Amino acid sequence: MMSYRLQRLPAASPAVAFAARLVSVIAALATAGLILKLAGMEPLALGAKVISSTFGSSFGIADLALLFSPLLYCGLAVAIGMRVGVWNIGAEGQFNLGAFSAAGVGLFVAGPPVLILPLMVLAGMIGGALWILIPTLARAYAGVSELITTLLMNFVATLLVYFVATGPWLDSSGMALATTARLPVAIPEIWDIVHWGLPVALGLAVVLAIAFNYTKWGYEVRIGGSNPGNALYAGMPVRRHLIFVMLLSGALAGLGGVMEVAGTVHRLQGGISNNFGYIGIMVAVLARAAPLGVIVSALFMAVVLNGGIILQPQGLTTQTVLAVTGLILLYAAIGDEFARYRVLRTIQPQD
Amino acid sequence: MDVLAGLIQTAFLAGGVLALAALGEVLAERVGVVNLGVEGLIALGAMTGIAVVSVAPVPWLGFSAALLVGLVAGMVFALATVVVRANQVLAGLALTYIGLGLAATLGKPFSGSPAAATFAKVDIPILSDLPFWGRALFSHNILVYIIFLALPVLVHYVMFYTRHGLNMRAVGENPAAADAAGISVMKMRFWYTSLGASLAAGAGGYLTLAFVPSWSEGVVSGRGWIAVALVIFAGFRPINVVLAALLFGFITALGFVGQARNWPVAASVLAMLPYLGTIALMILPVLAWQKMRRIMAAPEGLTQPYFRDDR
Repeated sequence: MMSYRLQRLPAASPAVAFAARLVSVIAALATAGLILKLAGMEPLALGAKVISSTFGSSFGIADLALLFSPLLYCGLAVAIGMRVGVWNIGAEGQFNLGAFSAAGVGLFVAGPPVLILPLMVLAGMIGGALWILIPTLARAYAGVSELITTLLMNFVATLLVYFVATGPWLDSSGMALATTARLPVAIPEIWDIVHWGLPVALGLAVVLAIAFNYTKWGYEVRIGGSNPGNALYAGMPVRRHLIFVMLLSGALAGLGGVMEVAGTVHRLQGGISNNFGYIGIMVAVLARAAPLGVIVSALFMAVVLNGGIILQPQGLTTQTVLAVTGLILLYAAIGDEFARYRVLRTIQPQD
Repeated sequence: MDVLAGLIQTAFLAGGVLALAALGEVLAERVGVVNLGVEGLIALGAMTGIAVVSVAPVPWLGFSAALLVGLVAGMVFALATVVVRANQVLAGLALTYIGLGLAATLGKPFSGSPAAATFAKVDIPILSDLPFWGRALFSHNILVYIIFLALPVLVHYVMFYTRHGLNMRAVGENPAAADAAGISVMKMRFWYTSLGASLAAGAGGYLTLAFVPSWSEGVVSGRGWIAVALVIFAGFRPINVVLAALLFGFITALGFVGQARNWPVAASVLAMLPYLGTIALMILPVLAWQKMRRIMAAPEGLTQPYFRDDR
């Protein structure tokens, strides 16, 4: 007698997990396409349009690169949090605070760019780290879940940026409604409109990958994240690692905000983050929190986000992109669980 | 005095959204499922409510449609988290993204225009003529009475005074023991998660049909997340949750009054109060009183998918 049964493994094998990711992304895009089809649109034609407008011209590639960069920063920020067992849902707010702090320095501190730019970067990273400080301390010392505290800080950050951009820091030219004056300094460009924000992010991904995978520190952080009890028993400074990585996560998202305001937008304005922080969570999840994987998933999500922008005349918005992101996330969560199952073929002895 | 009565009245009105959504979340979390999709569900319900009354101007119809949309969305979420047993945090975030994105995309035609029909105020005879309390307590739309009185009492009674409620809590605290006692863990989790989602979307319908009353992309603005936080703050108890929602309604009302009376604080700064208040309330009680952690603890089985094999 042959029979089949399912066995659930404690963890999926990397190959199966990767395949499940791929299948869930395709299934999510197919579902989105089906919904568009039902709404009377031509999903294949729209998809072809996105691909040709994105990759068909150097403008398209440059636009893509400008979306790729902030998603890298936010994706890395969320990914390193996941490594230490933390859900940093507040990358959106930290990104805003990074932009806010950098803009503050750029607008109100006079000096040569060689001095001002590093100062902006520093201010932005500190801003991002400060924005996650209270959730960090609450998690580390009082066991309060960081999930909701980091998220609620997003709303405060958005309101803060909106407040200064429409009030005290409003462009005095009288033309603008909700934006500051153009920043006097900018992150230098390397190609067309693509600035140094992108190569720096790629470099950071490599550095983080090495730090997490090949150093004693990275090993301790990972153990502390996956099994705090054991890590503590082995004498690892679990709390110190937790605090450091959370603050680093905030600083990374903040750095993304610096690059956005000083390299891409050049002004601080309401809605400066195109949901980058929220999509960054998706980037980190798709990459299974691996810094190098973040490069691939951020590029993919940049294409999706860019697609939403290209298709705006068809009635889609960045909010539509958020819905598609959610669809991918849902399928990925389901795929993750399915990837853990293995079909066993058993032969039962006849008696 | 009149200002205070108005404040309390607005507190009920504003707190209703949080109270209904948080009650739904209590149902889900008590059976062991954390639903982080509340924000998206409120958005879906809010958009549905407006869309339905724009076709048929009956507020009850819009509200019921919101409940129904929430039930369907909740069943999809429960299918993923309870039947397939996918990660609850990821599936919840996904639901939030889908809800916010879908509502914004589909709701575009209704953006900015006022609701075609809204829930009217129901003055309780005699009581509403009382000098102070009349306005504060007895002059509300019908949903406020349901959300702050009927529903929490009903949920409290079922949860703590019936066998069914005991079973519910057992599933949330110790699914393996509940299973051994013959309770269907999956059925219980599936239906209460779906019902909770339905109430969250109903909160959205309340938002656009009784409170704001119009639809715009940012109309939810974190209320779903505040509702999830309130559940933790209120120790997963239905009556406490409603009282906590009232407190937050009061904070929101303070912001409105501040704006109306030209307090020397910017509107966007006043608008930060509910978020900062929520964070403070999540942290301070735990710091102030260590015993709080035990008394107000989450159900033991929260976020833990149940596998019969793992026993």
